Amino acid sequence: MSGDTPRLRLSLIAVVAVSLFVALFARLWFLQVLTAGEHELAAQRNQRRAIPLPATRGRILDRNGEVLVTNRASNVVTVDRSRLRPLDKDEQETLIRRLAAVVDRPPSMLRERLDDQRLGPFTPVPVAEDVDESVLVELRERRSEFPGVEAEQTAVRAYPHGSLAAHVLGYVGAINAEELATLGSPYRPGSRIGKDGVEKTFEADLRGVDGEVVIEVDAENLPVREITRRPPVQGNDIVLSIDLEVQRVTEAALAQGMQRVRPRIEDNGQPVLGGGSAVALDVDEGTVVAMASWPTFSPAEFVYGISPRLFADLNDPARGTPFVNRAVLGTYSPGSTWKLVTAMAGLATGVITPETVFVDQGVYTIPNCGRGCSRQNAGRASYGEVALSRALTVSSDVYFYDIGAKLWQQREQVGPTPMQDMGTQLGFGTGTGVALPVEADGRIPTPERRAQLNQQNPAAFPNGDWFIGDNVNLSIGQGELAVTPIQLANAYATFATGGTRYAPNVVLRVQTPDGEVVREVPPRVAAEVQVPPEARAPIMNGLVGVTAGPDPRATAVKPFAGFPLDVYPVAGKTGTAQTGGDRRDNALFAAIAPAHDPRYALTVVMERAGFGATAAAPVARRMLGQLSGLEEPAPVTFVTGGRE
Amino acid sequence: METTAPPRGIGATLRRDPAAPWRHLDGPLLGATLAIAGLGVLMVWSATRTAMADAGLDPATYLKRQLAFVVLGAVVMAVVVTIDYNSYRDFAPIGYLGALALLVLVLSPLGTEVRNAQSWFAIGSFQLQPAELAKLALIITLAACGASAGGTLDRQRLMVSLGIAGVPVALVLMQPDLGSALVLVAILAGMLVVAGTRPRHLAVLTAVAVLAVIAMFQLDLVDSYQRERLTDFARSGDTSTGSGFQSEQAETAIGAGGLFGAGLFEGTQTKLGFVPEQQTDFIFTVVGEELGFAGSATLVLLYGVIVWRVWRTAQLSRDLYGTLVCAGVLAMLLFQVFENMGMSMGLMPITGLPLPLMSYGGSSMLTTWAALGLVLNVHMRRFS
Repeated sequence: MSGDTPRLRLSLIAVVAVSLFVALFARLWFLQVLTAGEHELAAQRNQRRAIPLPATRGRILDRNGEVLVTNRASNVVTVDRSRLRPLDKDEQETLIRRLAAVVDRPPSMLRERLDDQRLGPFTPVPVAEDVDESVLVELRERRSEFPGVEAEQTAVRAYPHGSLAAHVLGYVGAINAEELATLGSPYRPGSRIGKDGVEKTFEADLRGVDGEVVIEVDAENLPVREITRRPPVQGNDIVLSIDLEVQRVTEAALAQGMQRVRPRIEDNGQPVLGGGSAVALDVDEGTVVAMASWPTFSPAEFVYGISPRLFADLNDPARGTPFVNRAVLGTYSPGSTWKLVTAMAGLATGVITPETVFVDQGVYTIPNCGRGCSRQNAGRASYGEVALSRALTVSSDVYFYDIGAKLWQQREQVGPTPMQDMGTQLGFGTGTGVALPVEADGRIPTPERRAQLNQQNPAAFPNGDWFIGDNVNLSIGQGELAVTPIQLANAYATFATGGTRYAPNVVLRVQTPDGEVVREVPPRVAAEVQVPPEARAPIMNGLVGVTAGPDPRATAVKPFAGFPLDVYPVAGKTGTAQTGGDRRDNALFAAIAPAHDPRYALTVVMERAGFGATAAAPVARRMLGQLSGLEEPAPVTFVTGGRE
Repeated sequence: METTAPPRGIGATLRRDPAAPWRHLDGPLLGATLAIAGLGVLMVWSATRTAMADAGLDPATYLKRQLAFVVLGAVVMAVVVTIDYNSYRDFAPIGYLGALALLVLVLSPLGTEVRNAQSWFAIGSFQLQPAELAKLALIITLAACGASAGGTLDRQRLMVSLGIAGVPVALVLMQPDLGSALVLVAILAGMLVVAGTRPRHLAVLTAVAVLAVIAMFQLDLVDSYQRERLTDFARSGDTSTGSGFQSEQAETAIGAGGLFGAGLFEGTQTKLGFVPEQQTDFIFTVVGEELGFAGSATLVLLYGVIVWRVWRTAQLSRDLYGTLVCAGVLAMLLFQVFENMGMSMGLMPITGLPLPLMSYGGSSMLTTWAALGLVLNVHMRRFS
């Protein structure tokens, strides 16, 4: 044997050993020196989780402190879809089935929820709500068997009075991508946010301040210890100007009235269910006391999000588009309720005086007009000698036609649009500024506007000229005129105050959960309007006569039969607005009460319900019964016959 | 050489005889061994104290036990050193057969299955891993076989050597414990090279080994469990986080240590369970995270010192038997250190192997101390 052989071969081993050690050093250098930063970040990400602590949302109270919206705890099971994706189809299916068994829901329901793509891919999808406490415990214990499944208690909105005031309250939902992009911090994916109603307009007060807890977690994502905690600050309560009891009576009466209205089939074959709305304003405060829109919805049904089906139903015309708050979004011809504006314009321009007498023979022939230029009173009635007050009480169209025609004939002296200008002053044509997220502007037609439209789009608006007949139509609130129920109420309120027009508030004040006032919401004056003092008394008298008579042909005596008008006089005006063709008319009623010292102004608008006097006035009477505190709530007594 | 008798009076021998074994103890080897084992105790403590405290147990449980293993290991080393290594040659067949018997026995119901592998005897609160003993037995036996060949391994002796290694490898694979089997193969390879296997035989063996590995995967001879660990390493602990989790987390832990580490007891990756088995197979991640590059490089350097001293001893040995014993120990340590650190750093696939002298556990600790005892033994008797 050569003694050198093993030694020689040992050097081979040495080469191998040195190479291996060099490899170890190199790798160590790479990991700990060259790329140490990345690894440090990865390690930190590993071990820290910031868990948001959502603030409890403030409550919503009525003006007397009655709770309309509060919060309740709900056990929700969510699934993080990004954790499901790595699993194959069979594994996913098994997981869904096992989870369905634990949460006691059909697997199909879970699958449907998981397929809903409206939430982002990384937002956990709620698959079961209001599960039992034991389910929460079980899922936490068997955590490892359910990757991506979280079970937690969250606070959701609760509505002790059901759907009451739903349109005013609005609702809360998960923030969407668009809102997140606009609002940014402190919102984050999954934040709850007010979507409509005061939940939206007072979001900043209701929201509170989210807290955050940063915890150290281990490899299984189980908390090890808390690093920092910033507790959430509960949102403030808001106190609405809405009066729960008035609201309740209003909704009940409106629903009762609307349920008598049959759904109709539109010309295009689509079935449409008519809706209605009612608004009561406090004319001194400039606030909304009641606001109802029928049909309505129940916000409690979608505290966890609106299913596509429910969303479609709530916007389905055949179901009356329950989502739409008609009180602020419905636009209607005001019909005879507009006569207030015509009367004021007539007085302001001097075209009439309160004493000006016009002989109403039931027919009015428009001066300087060709064929088809004669108009009749509704029901072909003739009222004989009428002055302003009586014209309002009996709702003589002919009397107001004459004002409309004269205003046009004397346009050189009174200007081209005195009616429109008065309407604008009273708040028509633009939103009232009510403290709700959306509102329609309505429309006041003017010669100028018509010419403009014609110029812009002759095909759609072939007629660019304004004729005397347009003024005649406008004088009784027909034609292209369109107003919202709240505009109408606000116009009557403005007349009632003697000229102060408010942007109606819905919230009186913001207060802490303990009831300490954070801030009062002051009345917002939108405009000071010139109401000629000499106009007030004759108009008010005429309106009071509408409900009280004694003129036998007063339009709304029947609906107010038995109402204590002697102590609580009601200045009202019926309206029956033609809707074109042979369709049923929209029924309207506007009122100011009590007439001697106005406190409230209200309107009731009911689509395709018939006469203002028979359909809308009885609903208004119930509202006034509650507002005055003089009548016990009772079913509405609808009257028959009548007109206007 | 035969005159060397067990020392009677150590002090007297030291003074009188310049060739006395005790004068030639390998200081650097002993120092590096003690340093690594000491660091290991500290690291095992760091890796376990929070988890134990959280469980309401004595946080020092592992510290105490590991310390006991180290002391026991030192005692075993002392015993091994005392007796001239050539005496072990005579016991090689007995040791070898004994080890085989234990390897068979562990497959019987007497053995305990831990994590899908029947590799342990549970003796009280201690666990004995016969595969560890088999490593020592294989080294001694192969060295005896190789030494008798005198420096060139002919085909017959080569076949005998392959047979000697093949049986325990097969038995260990039946547990199955791929990691230990690979260590046995590494020992065989290292010793075959030094024992004088002919280059063409080595070439053929290398080719066969490569083909065998390929075949094992192709023919599904590797359990899916092992294949998983060898290929993507997602272990049962966390199925949800996906493949490569363990190795990724180990890398993150080491990388997060940076130049100087988070400080002793300050590692979060290792403490919070992101790195599994941190007190045993992944102890290096604790060193990496808490002591940083400075600490882990020092540790690698210490292993380098050990490997260098073992290699040097193989060169210095008075006889071929000693050289082969050292070569076997060297191959065993080198493979384990490289594989263990390599898998922690993402260089190597994950196989369940302890880091010698560092990882928590008695069997590996005692085996390593005994093996290094053998090397010390060869070193100090090089002049006798």
